[in-house]
Amino acid sequence: MTSLRTLMRGRSELGVAAGLGVTALVVAIDAANIRHTAISSGVMGPQVVPAIIAIGLALSAIALTVTVLRGGHGEQEDGEDIDLSQGAHWPTLLGLGGLILLTALLMNILGFVISSALLFFGASVLLGSRRYVLSLLIGAALAVATFYGFVLGLGIPLPAGLLTGIL
Amino acid sequence: MDNLALLMQGFTNALTLDNLLFALIGVLLGTAVGVLPGIGPAMTVALLLPLTYALDVTGSLIMFAGIYYGGMYGGSTTSILLNTPGESSSVVTALEGNKMAKAGRGAQALATAAIGSFVAGTIATGALVFVAPFIVSIAISLGAPSYFAMMVFAFIAVSTVLGSSRIRGIASLFIGLTIGLVGMDGTSGQPRLTFGQPLLAGGIDVVVIAVALFAVGEALWIAAHLRQGKPATIPVGVPWMAKEDWKRSWKPWLRGTVIGFPFGAIPAGGAEIPTFLSYAAEKRLSKHPEEFGHGAIEGVAGPEAANNASAAGTLVPLLTLGLPTTATAAVMIAAFNQYGIHPGPLLFTTEPVLVWTLIASLFIGNALLLVLNLPLAPFWAKLLRIPRPYLYAGILFFATLGAYAAGLQAMNIVILLLVGSLGYVARRYGFPVLPIIVGAILGPEMERQLRRALQISSGDPAALVSEPLAVVLYTVIVVFLVVPPLARTLRNRMGDRANGEGPAARPSVDTVTGPAGSSETSDSADGSASSPVDKPDSLVH
Repeated sequence: MTSLRTLMRGRSELGVAAGLGVTALVVAIDAANIRHTAISSGVMGPQVVPAIIAIGLALSAIALTVTVLRGGHGEQEDGEDIDLSQGAHWPTLLGLGGLILLTALLMNILGFVISSALLFFGASVLLGSRRYVLSLLIGAALAVATFYGFVLGLGIPLPAGLLTGIL
Repeated sequence: MDNLALLMQGFTNALTLDNLLFALIGVLLGTAVGVLPGIGPAMTVALLLPLTYALDVTGSLIMFAGIYYGGMYGGSTTSILLNTPGESSSVVTALEGNKMAKAGRGAQALATAAIGSFVAGTIATGALVFVAPFIVSIAISLGAPSYFAMMVFAFIAVSTVLGSSRIRGIASLFIGLTIGLVGMDGTSGQPRLTFGQPLLAGGIDVVVIAVALFAVGEALWIAAHLRQGKPATIPVGVPWMAKEDWKRSWKPWLRGTVIGFPFGAIPAGGAEIPTFLSYAAEKRLSKHPEEFGHGAIEGVAGPEAANNASAAGTLVPLLTLGLPTTATAAVMIAAFNQYGIHPGPLLFTTEPVLVWTLIASLFIGNALLLVLNLPLAPFWAKLLRIPRPYLYAGILFFATLGAYAAGLQAMNIVILLLVGSLGYVARRYGFPVLPIIVGAILGPEMERQLRRALQISSGDPAALVSEPLAVVLYTVIVVFLVVPPLARTLRNRMGDRANGEGPAARPSVDTVTGPAGSSETSDSADGSASSPVDKPDSLVH
């Protein structure tokens, strides 16, 4: 058990390999369930390419597992605002993910302006902004401006939601 | 010349008030968003893709051409005035450019980058005018087997030549192909990977995929590792150059153009390798080699020209064959597809007005960039000081907007988050993002060509090698895949013999194979620039 644990330490990339394997399985099962209709499929049916992709995914999963177990690891992406000396800050990350989901849920109920302004406000606070009022004002201004830009300028009817009649 | 007549007609169309306005908005938006730290040209184009939902084809493609060139230019400003570069292709610009800025020569660095970009962009676009129709004339006679081979070639190239790890590149490619599978099969109408969801029957919108991978993935990755404290930006005045700077710049501009264009034009190029090659060439040819590493103007002029020339070169395979070789080109294809236009040899016969107006607008955009960016540079430099919480909150804001506007489906925001998380994981474990998007966009087209080839031969797989080009391409692919590992093994053996601790002693062999020239040149210039990070995962998590 302990030896397994030492083996796994620093090898979180094995999770990626597992993900590739699961994807391979899903693609393969889906391909197997495609109905065969001789007329529509012609020489090469719609299941051939998915099957090839499933095999490719499975082989990638195996190759990646071997590489990681032999000590190989990928190069994390660097950038202007990135500080790789510390690990990922999970509260920020999960918070942002949750916010995006919340935006998806609230979009049709509250409308574009409110849900997007909340997204901007929440994201900027999560990212370290401490000027709450200013963040809220910028978010609201951005949301109202894009709303009118899209609805009037581009003719794309974003939902007004709660603010129907006001906007 | 026939081409010139068509180009002149393109200019007549591009110079209308509307189209000029689109070009102007494009270069302004492109530069502004490109200057913003953390946003490269690919994310710039991806974030602005939703505009294609409402604008007409010509106008929006003119605007996107402007965004493309503007984003490239904006990126160079960032790397000169901030130390760490965002795009791999501007690593080299940062090497000398940032040193120049620190030494108080930021204005000259920006000037040589701007004028060099203009010179290279104009010459390379001129080359495009002549090369593209020539390639079309060959490509038009090619059949499905050759097209299929070209796509396989492009896939192999983007996933194994450009990245640092072949296994991760190939895995990325298959993930992209899987994303491309989702939806109704074009030939038989059978749903694939839709899990019974009617919303997925039409496939995942390419805009959502592009925005998720380039904007959400990147924003989440940066958010998890946000650098604390104020970034050190260097204030700068209006760019200008003294006579001496001109004298030292014009040859590197021309050499950079000559190096950059062919690399962009072959479907295995990318802007990374030519910028390194140009840097190495300038260092060797310079009369002031001692200045390299301390702010040599040639080290900005050459690579910046190479970068822009290869960007123009990228348009050759993009427009004539429909093959994207850089992330930005892949997103540009998404913009074309948004209008139901599939770039390829037929594009020049079916949409001649559009193509030539687009090419003419490239010349115009380039000129606009030069005219605008010299006086506006101090203003662009101010954008670098934007508070990061607002910047990345804004990126997420516009990303969700873009995804939602694709069909006005809240479900698209959920897909955006899922594919965005995929983009995050890719950045975390060093999986290249380019093969994912190229696989997702070109996958369905590749399948169509494969089926067409087999349809004609009634299922005989020998048809796939029935055209000479296909045979040549498969041969090149085999050489691609076999020679580098073989060379590496040989080199490791030699290294073992020479000294006990050769590269063979390193466990992570697959992470250290960069483009052949790049690791050498960057190491000799500045070891910290692009040496692979050798950090065990345990430090990070």
